Amino acid sequence: MGVVKADQQGYAITSLDSLLNWARGGSMWPMTFGLACCAVEMMHAAASRYDLDRFGWGLFRGSPRQSDVMIVAGTLCNKMAPALRQVYDMMAEPKYVISMGSCANGGGYYHYSYSVVRGCDRIVPVDIYVPGCPPTAEALVYGVVQLQNLVRSGHREL
Amino acid sequence: MSLVEYLKSSNFSAVTEVETLHEEVTLCVDKSGWHDFANILKTDPKLSFDVLIDVCGVDYLHYGLTEWATNEVTFTGYSRARTELPDTIEEPRFASVYHFLSTEHNLRLRVKVMLESNDLSIASVNDIWPVANWFEREAYDLFGIVYEGHPDLRRILTDYGFIGHPLRKDFPLVGEVEIGYDAAKEACVYHPVDIQPRVVVPKVVRSDARYNEAGDSNE
Repeated sequence: MGVVKADQQGYAITSLDSLLNWARGGSMWPMTFGLACCAVEMMHAAASRYDLDRFGWGLFRGSPRQSDVMIVAGTLCNKMAPALRQVYDMMAEPKYVISMGSCANGGGYYHYSYSVVRGCDRIVPVDIYVPGCPPTAEALVYGVVQLQNLVRSGHREL
Repeated sequence: MSLVEYLKSSNFSAVTEVETLHEEVTLCVDKSGWHDFANILKTDPKLSFDVLIDVCGVDYLHYGLTEWATNEVTFTGYSRARTELPDTIEEPRFASVYHFLSTEHNLRLRVKVMLESNDLSIASVNDIWPVANWFEREAYDLFGIVYEGHPDLRRILTDYGFIGHPLRKDFPLVGEVEIGYDAAKEACVYHPVDIQPRVVVPKVVRSDARYNEAGDSNE
């Protein structure tokens, strides 16, 4: 490695889309949607040890208007489902969803319960599923990197 | 004079039974005289139960019976076959249970009011102990017990517009409906459940001839 001098090495040429996607993936503002114990692991991921800020993901917002990505962290109940959808609808495009943990992925432990949605993908479209009960902070960071790669690849339709 | 002696000697007309188990006193109280007796529990200087700890409902349907019996043994192991429960309903099926604490006398008391399933109304004690408000809403939500005189008897836990009372024994665990997003209507809508109810049979570790230590006498 070393400092690349542009006049010696030529110029990097890229499309504007790639540049935008690169920038977008490195500056995601997550919507705080902690529903259960997964939220604690989400907090760990955002705190100093795992530090989601390193990926440009540290700015958790309380308002969907200011968010790019929603991390559904926990059990989604029937009563909460319309609120989740409303918050998702309020987010500005482009918007992404990470489903965190067994409960959000498919009901998990509460799959046979009368009051729990059997997967948050029944309510909102999901980009990345993070397995675990709860997933460790590392697992969430891995999911974050996966979504970052997805955004930067440009394969995700906006 | 102990609490039990006092309760027995006072001959309250509403009390049908005084029971002591594990050093805990349980009263069975008749439904019709319940509200007046609740006032006595609060105001009688020998009792003065000033704190209502909890109100909860109980459903005694199929009380003491089980859906899975593991007593029968075959050559391949213990039976895990599901047994059908009887259709009969023994009355009184429901109960509203109250736990009290007297901070003055350091006494605790449990009161049980039995309810027939064709008349699930019972007097609210919200006017005597205001804490009963949410407890009674919860018992109404989950068991369908109607507390007469409650100022705001709404569901408290389940979804708005929920049908049924989930903690009743005959309520299916998976429920009747489930929620999903309808893109055409742009709203979350309920539709009938798409999974089957199932009986979860727990794995029971018990002594079995196959797992006995070598040298056991019953080989």
